[in-house]
Amino acid sequence: MSTRALRKAFPEPRSVEAPVQLSLAVAPAGSPPPAGPPAACVTQARLAPAVPELWLGVHLPQCDPALLQRLGVLAQRFTPRVSLEPPDGLVLEVLGSLALFGGVARLYRAFRAGCRAAGAAPVLTLAPTPLAALVAGRSGVSFKVLEQQLLVSAVSALPLTALRWPPQVLQRLSRLGVYRIGQALRLPRAGFARRFGKDCLRMLDQLVARDADLRPLFTVPERFRAKRQFVREREHHTEILQALQPLLVQLAEFLEARQCGITRITCRLHHRNEVHTDCVVRLAQPEAAAARFREWFAERLGKMALPGPVRSLELRSGELQSRTPVHESLWRPGEHGGGGEAGLLSGSQELIERLRMRLGESAVQGLRCENSHCPEGASRPVSPLAPGFQRGAGVRQVTAQPVRPLWLLEEPQLLPERKGWPQLAGPLRLGRGPERIESQWWEAQGVARDYYHATDGNGIAVWVFRERRPPHRWFLHGLAG
Amino acid sequence: MKNVLARLLEHPGIWRGRSFTRVETLSTGFSELDARLGGGWPKVGLVEILATHLGSGELQLLLPLLARVTQRPQARWCTWIAPPLNPYAPALAARGVNLARMLVVRTSKGPQRAPEWATEQALISGACDVVLTWITQPLKPRIVRRLQLATQRGRTLAFLLRPWSSRVAQEPSHALLRLGIEPDHDGVRLSILKSRGGMTGQWWLALDGARAAVGG
Repeated sequence: MSTRALRKAFPEPRSVEAPVQLSLAVAPAGSPPPAGPPAACVTQARLAPAVPELWLGVHLPQCDPALLQRLGVLAQRFTPRVSLEPPDGLVLEVLGSLALFGGVARLYRAFRAGCRAAGAAPVLTLAPTPLAALVAGRSGVSFKVLEQQLLVSAVSALPLTALRWPPQVLQRLSRLGVYRIGQALRLPRAGFARRFGKDCLRMLDQLVARDADLRPLFTVPERFRAKRQFVREREHHTEILQALQPLLVQLAEFLEARQCGITRITCRLHHRNEVHTDCVVRLAQPEAAAARFREWFAERLGKMALPGPVRSLELRSGELQSRTPVHESLWRPGEHGGGGEAGLLSGSQELIERLRMRLGESAVQGLRCENSHCPEGASRPVSPLAPGFQRGAGVRQVTAQPVRPLWLLEEPQLLPERKGWPQLAGPLRLGRGPERIESQWWEAQGVARDYYHATDGNGIAVWVFRERRPPHRWFLHGLAG
Repeated sequence: MKNVLARLLEHPGIWRGRSFTRVETLSTGFSELDARLGGGWPKVGLVEILATHLGSGELQLLLPLLARVTQRPQARWCTWIAPPLNPYAPALAARGVNLARMLVVRTSKGPQRAPEWATEQALISGACDVVLTWITQPLKPRIVRRLQLATQRGRTLAFLLRPWSSRVAQEPSHALLRLGIEPDHDGVRLSILKSRGGMTGQWWLALDGARAAVGG
C-alpha cells in the first residue's frame, strides 16, 4: 500500500483531533463519557470485511513444533483454511463448515475430541478475526465471540502482552499506563503510528477486523509413498531390484511433475512374521532420475544381508526439495575443451556420491590448510561437499614456509637408537635443521621438538624430530615423498 | 628430399619402432624427463610407477604435473585413492597444488579390491584430470587392462603406484608407460621399463630440477 493510499484509508484529522480532546478535557466531572470512541482514535469506524468470518484459535500451552504440525493436519479435516502461527498456535476458519458439522457447539466438541486423541489439550477460542482468536488463546481466557459488533468490547479486556509486540514497545506503553488492548484502541491513530510504528497499528486494525489479515495457508508437506505386493516371495537382490524398478519410475514421474528432487529415500522390505528391513539411500543433492535411484539401490541392496525372503516392498520419499535442472554440456568434460561449470560440478558430485555409497560417508575427503604451528594441526580433512570448499574458500596461500614433507605419519613413530644415534634402516644422515617447533605454553600437551630433514639407510628423504625435553627420543614424522 | 620423406613418414599407417606415437602429452616439469618420454606424460592413459620404497621420490616426480593441472581454470578433480599415509596439505599448497581440486579417497574400510573399484569409478566418471592410486597387493593383468580402457572413456590420466619387486617388474603390463624409481644421491634413478614406441633406459634425475622448470 502506498503512502498516499494509506493516508486515504486512514485520514489524519489533525484539525479535528485537538477540539475533541479539548472537549474531553473541559467536560465537567459529572457528565457522562462520550458515547462512542472519538473519531480520531484507533477504533475509527471503518467498513467491516465484506464476507464475515469465524476463526477457531488453538493455543498450545507447551510449544511443540511436531504436535503443532499434527494439529495442522487434523484441522484440515474441518476446513481448508488453516494457518499455523509458530511456535504455539494455529487458527482455522470455520464459518463455512458450521452447517456441515451441525453448529458451533458440535464443531467445537469434535475438534476438542480430535485434539485429545492427538495427545494435546489446547486452549480453544472463537472470534471473527484470526488475530483476536490467537490473542484470546494466549491470554488463556474462555472467549467465544461470534458477532463482529461484539468484538471490540470483548478484546478490550485482554492484556496487551498477548499481542507479542517487541518488549520496548510494551514498556513504553506501560509507562503511558496502557496495559489493556482496549486502552491502546482508544489512543490517537497518528500519534500511535508515529510512536510505536505502523506495524503495531496494522495489528490493532487486523485485531478488530478493520484491515485484511492475510495468512499463508498450511499445506501438508507432500511425500511419495508406494507399495508393491509380490505373488511369490523374492530372494535375490536382482529380483528385488527388478520389482523396485516400476516404483522408482513412479517416483521419478512424481518428482518430475512437481519439479522437485529428494535427498532421502527409504525402501522398506517386508519379510514374513511382520519383520522388515529398511534400506535408506541418502544423496548429497536433490535428485529425480529413476536410473540414478536404481543405481544407488543396486549399490545398497548388494551390500545388505536380508534376514529372509521379501514379500512386499514399500518406497517412501523424504521431504521434497526444489531442484534446478542443470543443463548438460554437449561435450563431456575434457573433450574438445568441453565441460561447462554446471556439467563439471554435477559430474564431480556424482562421483563423490558413488564412492561414498560403497566406501562410507567419511571415505571421501578434501584437504585444507589450517593456521597451526603444530605440524599435525596444519592439515585437516574436510568434506568435499562442504560449502565453499570447491571454490577454494579457506585455502590460505602459503608463502615462504620452511620445506615440509609431502607425507605425514598419523602418529610420530619412535626410532630405535644405537650408540645414541637414531636408526632407520641403518643410521640416519641428518641434513637441513634443526627447525624448532614449540607449541604454546598454555596447551596441556606441549610440543617442543627439533626437526631435521634426513636420509635413511635406503636413501629415502625423511622428516624426523628429537624431543627437546628429556628423554630426548627421536621420532619419524614424515616422508618427503 | 628429406622434407618429402618426413611428410611420407607422417602417414598414420606407417609405424616405426623407435618413433614416438603421436599422443597428446602434459609436461612433467622436468625437461630431461620430457625429452626422454617424448614430450611428457600422456594426457590420457595409464602410467605405472614402481618404487622400491614408499617415499622414493615418486610423489615429488608428479608434483609439477599436479600443480599445473589443478591450477587450470576448468580443472577437474585430482583424486588420490588409498594413499598409504596422510598427504600433508601445507606442503602441497606450498608447491602450488590447488587443494580445492583435490580429493582423497580412503578405502581401508571398504570391501576387498576397493582401490581398484574406486579407481575405475573415478576414471569412467570423467570428473577427474588425474587419478593416483596406491596398490600394494598383486594386480592381475586383466585389471590393469580394464583400468587402461577406463582412462580412455573418461579421458583421464591415471598413475598406479606399486612396490617394485622383481616379480612385478616381469609381469606383462597394459599400461602406456611403466617407470621404475629408486632413491639415489639427492635425486632418483629412473628406469623406463615400458613405453609405447619410446626408448627404454636408466638415468639419474635431480628432483630439485623441477623448481626451475615450473618457475618457483
